Amino acid sequence: MARRYDSRTTIFSPEGRLYQIEYAMEAISHAGSVLGVLSKDGVVLAAEKKVTGKLLDMSGSKEGGYGGSGEKIFLLNSNVVAGVAGITADANSLVNYARQAAQRHLYMYNEDIPVELLAQRLCDLKQGYTQYGGLRPFGVSLLYAGYDPHYQFQLYHSDPSGNYSGWKATCIGANNGTATSLLKQEYKEDISVEDAIELVLRTMSKTMDSTTLGSEKLEFATLTLDANKQPKAKIYKPAEIDALLQKHGLAKKDEDTDMASA
Amino acid sequence: MDISFALTGKGYVILASDTTAARSIVKMKVDEDKIKVLSPHLLMAYSGEPGDTVQFAEYIERNIRLYQIRNTYALRPPSAASWIRRTLADSLRSRKPYAVNLLIGGYDTSTHQPHLYWVDYLGTMSEVPFAAHGYGAYFALSLLDREDGLMSGSSYHDPEAPLEEGLKTLRRCLDEVAKRLVVTPEKYKVKVVDKDGVREIEI
Amino acid sequence: MSIMEYNGGSVIAMVGKECVAIASDLRLGNQALGISSNFQKIFQMTDRIFLGLPGLATDVTTLKETFRFRVNMYTIKEERELEPETFAHMVSSALYERRFGPYFIEPVMCGLQKTHDGSYKPFIAATDLIGCLNFAKDFVVAGTASSKLFGVAEGLWEPDLEPEDLFETCAQTLLNAVDRDAYSGWGAEVYVLTKDKVIKRTLKGRMD
Repeated sequence: MARRYDSRTTIFSPEGRLYQIEYAMEAISHAGSVLGVLSKDGVVLAAEKKVTGKLLDMSGSKEGGYGGSGEKIFLLNSNVVAGVAGITADANSLVNYARQAAQRHLYMYNEDIPVELLAQRLCDLKQGYTQYGGLRPFGVSLLYAGYDPHYQFQLYHSDPSGNYSGWKATCIGANNGTATSLLKQEYKEDISVEDAIELVLRTMSKTMDSTTLGSEKLEFATLTLDANKQPKAKIYKPAEIDALLQKHGLAKKDEDTDMASA
Repeated sequence: MDISFALTGKGYVILASDTTAARSIVKMKVDEDKIKVLSPHLLMAYSGEPGDTVQFAEYIERNIRLYQIRNTYALRPPSAASWIRRTLADSLRSRKPYAVNLLIGGYDTSTHQPHLYWVDYLGTMSEVPFAAHGYGAYFALSLLDREDGLMSGSSYHDPEAPLEEGLKTLRRCLDEVAKRLVVTPEKYKVKVVDKDGVREIEI
Repeated sequence: MSIMEYNGGSVIAMVGKECVAIASDLRLGNQALGISSNFQKIFQMTDRIFLGLPGLATDVTTLKETFRFRVNMYTIKEERELEPETFAHMVSSALYERRFGPYFIEPVMCGLQKTHDGSYKPFIAATDLIGCLNFAKDFVVAGTASSKLFGVAEGLWEPDLEPEDLFETCAQTLLNAVDRDAYSGWGAEVYVLTKDKVIKRTLKGRMD
């Protein structure tokens, strides 16, 4: 019975549901998780990379293109970084759309696009695919970590239906339930960015499927203010991620590497 | 000919514009308000080709309002001014350009800074401490240029002056125009924008 | 009255030893009436490219915003930094697009071009208002004081100047040229670009 309402994205089922949208969200809950924490002086993002293999040629992404984009964390504009969970191909298309929207705003108003406005722009696009027939919705959820002078640091989440919401700390993708309940326990209102980094890494290490954290499984970014009070996004390079994990005592244990080499 | 002045001070911008609406050599009206309130912390004085002025000012006013309705907060003064400038610059290369000169004064509630922009009908824009359009510019700008200290305690323009002193400086400009310009406007409308928003001041 | 002289303003760029310099005045006028003494005409487009836009002031702002947009879109799509020579052609084609209704700007640009062995080569260029490129080896000038700038630069410039000497040469050339031009002046700014830093200095000059 349900199949009759599955084939099209724009048709309600008798229970008043849009199955394709729900399937898209289901796809995301299997994707590598992305975690974000908002603090008073910065925002922190971390993302889990699912597919890694020694044979995959990563030399292109090592150099870093526009803001050193990796697989899951992208610089959308000088004041916004985003983490994506879901179908990577769809995400690339959305990231490109977001970057263009941000540049158009800069051109029109000579200011960095306000974070919520950028989230809205993407949600308008995503919502369109729940209504206009014949097309598949974007199978992507995003976390936006940004700064603008209106509301200072912000963290937003948007899903395939085109809904978006602001958060103090949240998680999307696999194990997001466990991660959000952990964050709920640990989050403090006046958390500093340093503590937020630690909170993100600790939560990540507890919820990720793999037992060890390392740069081949993790992407990491922060958004803070520089000396001139301008937003500064930092997407960590693999070596910097490993150094960070080392600092917080979450890196691979030495005996593990010994075992591997033995 | 329309005359408008504007100057900044400590946390405020003052805009003044004459109130005459003239056709050729005839005064049609002497209580015309030529300063639009674009948003809670943004003012725009406009002058130029009759017809174009009101049409353009209302177009800007409604679009700034639309942005505020859509996004819950208003454009900040630098962004609003940039957008208005772009509108004029695009218009310049259209079939029938608007011939409107503007002074845009605003208070940025997120950085707590006053901003004043001089904009002409070509789309030329510059952020300035004080500005004027029309024949008044030739008298007022040189007056406002004068550095303090040559006459101690005198109130030539000071970007750190309190409102009282700023209004006194404006008064000097108006008096100078009244004294030296052949055709002098009899009345001015004066508006101020600061952290508390926009208000009109009798002078 | 020429529309190129309506607002006034001048720019000069010079080549040095592993460095480049670009300088402009800060005046914005309405013919003889001065409006602002803080109107910038030089803009940093990337870490290694500077663009000077003397001419009609409305087009200074419009082109600044247009080129910022185009450079950013290039960087996003190509996922690499734009080279100065590529940028020069971008400027040229943007201006020639408006061949029969031009922007009244004569751009001057300078930068450091990456060479095959990974080092940087000084680069300067200028175009006319419809985008005809001029790649000079010594210096390029434009604006209301361009004729005077040519004269002074011809006398002061020499090859392989070190950053500090290049700054002095560029600054003195501009300052002395604009003193002979009624439409340029009211302060100046100079940028010197070397492979590891940018030196910016704002100069007073004759404020009359």
